[in-house]
Amino acid sequence: MDQLIQENKLSKEQIFETLNQFITEVIGEEFVEEMDITPASSFTKDLEMDSIEIVAFSEKVKNHFGPNIDFTGWLSNMDLDEIIQLKLENIINYIQECQ
Amino acid sequence: MPIIDLPNIRLHVQELNPAGRETIIMVHGMFSNLAVYYFNIAPMLAKHYRVVLFDMKGHGMSEKVQTGYDLTSMTTDLRDLMDELGIEKAHLAGYSYGGLVALKMATRFPERVGKLAIIEGPDPSEQETLAIIDTYSKEFLIHYIENFADTTRLLAGKRQLEKNHRMYEFLFNETSIRSDMEGEKAFFNDPAVAAITNDTLLIYGEESNCVPSGRTLASRIPNSRLVLAPGDHNVPVQQPEVIGKELIEFFVRHDEMIVTGAPADCG
Repeated sequence: MDQLIQENKLSKEQIFETLNQFITEVIGEEFVEEMDITPASSFTKDLEMDSIEIVAFSEKVKNHFGPNIDFTGWLSNMDLDEIIQLKLENIINYIQECQ
Repeated sequence: MPIIDLPNIRLHVQELNPAGRETIIMVHGMFSNLAVYYFNIAPMLAKHYRVVLFDMKGHGMSEKVQTGYDLTSMTTDLRDLMDELGIEKAHLAGYSYGGLVALKMATRFPERVGKLAIIEGPDPSEQETLAIIDTYSKEFLIHYIENFADTTRLLAGKRQLEKNHRMYEFLFNETSIRSDMEGEKAFFNDPAVAAITNDTLLIYGEESNCVPSGRTLASRIPNSRLVLAPGDHNVPVQQPEVIGKELIEFFVRHDEMIVTGAPADCG
């Protein structure tokens, strides 16, 4: 049973690909082309996303991964410094844990 | 992303805890957007209430339009939004110009408004109001650059700076926003403001230039209480937890103590 659930889980690579796509949709392909998006990219410093873009990104995460992933609730427990430091891999790990 | 079509405008709306029994609608200020509440203050309130956030016209991800930034047009938009979402009555929280929108709602549609929380609502008759708003934009931009822009990455930094610059250019040069705001100069002297009977919380930053505006409102609105929080005009960004707690105290705790005899802990 555990193994079966394990098999249905998305891999980190799959989650990364999906998030990468969302980022492209939010900030625009022309800007993404000039960036090297990796799991180590930080949202505010590397990707230069502002808060309303992170809102749009959160919306896509919620719609795609479903209500079990309370992305906004998770973010709301962080202070500004933590959000500034937030990296793509933190979100990938969070989504994996919630699956 | 949820864009809602209203008769006059398309607005970007976000809802938290849609199953909540009562609703709080939060209105942001000029040159800002719903993100000012989304990550901290709104989730705190959403533990108790349905919370509706929206980007004002010309702001955030809402439709960009050239006119209608006066309080009457803004409150017509908000009334239409309530109709569209099937909200008969809501508590309102508004920051800066959004605070004036909340007050105007209480004067125009008193039957649709529960409690009122006004954060840093500026007196539009003050000569400095537009200057304050200019300062606010600059501070907002500086705060933004200090916190979010990495000066070693000029290319990436450029995108956000240009985006912000475009917003100010659009609102200042291509819309009626300045004349619409100037047209509201007499708003605090409107007898309808003194006739507001709603429970009203006035939160101002103790270092803010807007404190005298808070005192004016406190003297005119009978059921109001003025609270000073540590910070200046940017107090919701500087002290989101303090503001969130004050709002919960005002909106939730007071109600629950009356209704159930004890504060409920939903956390």
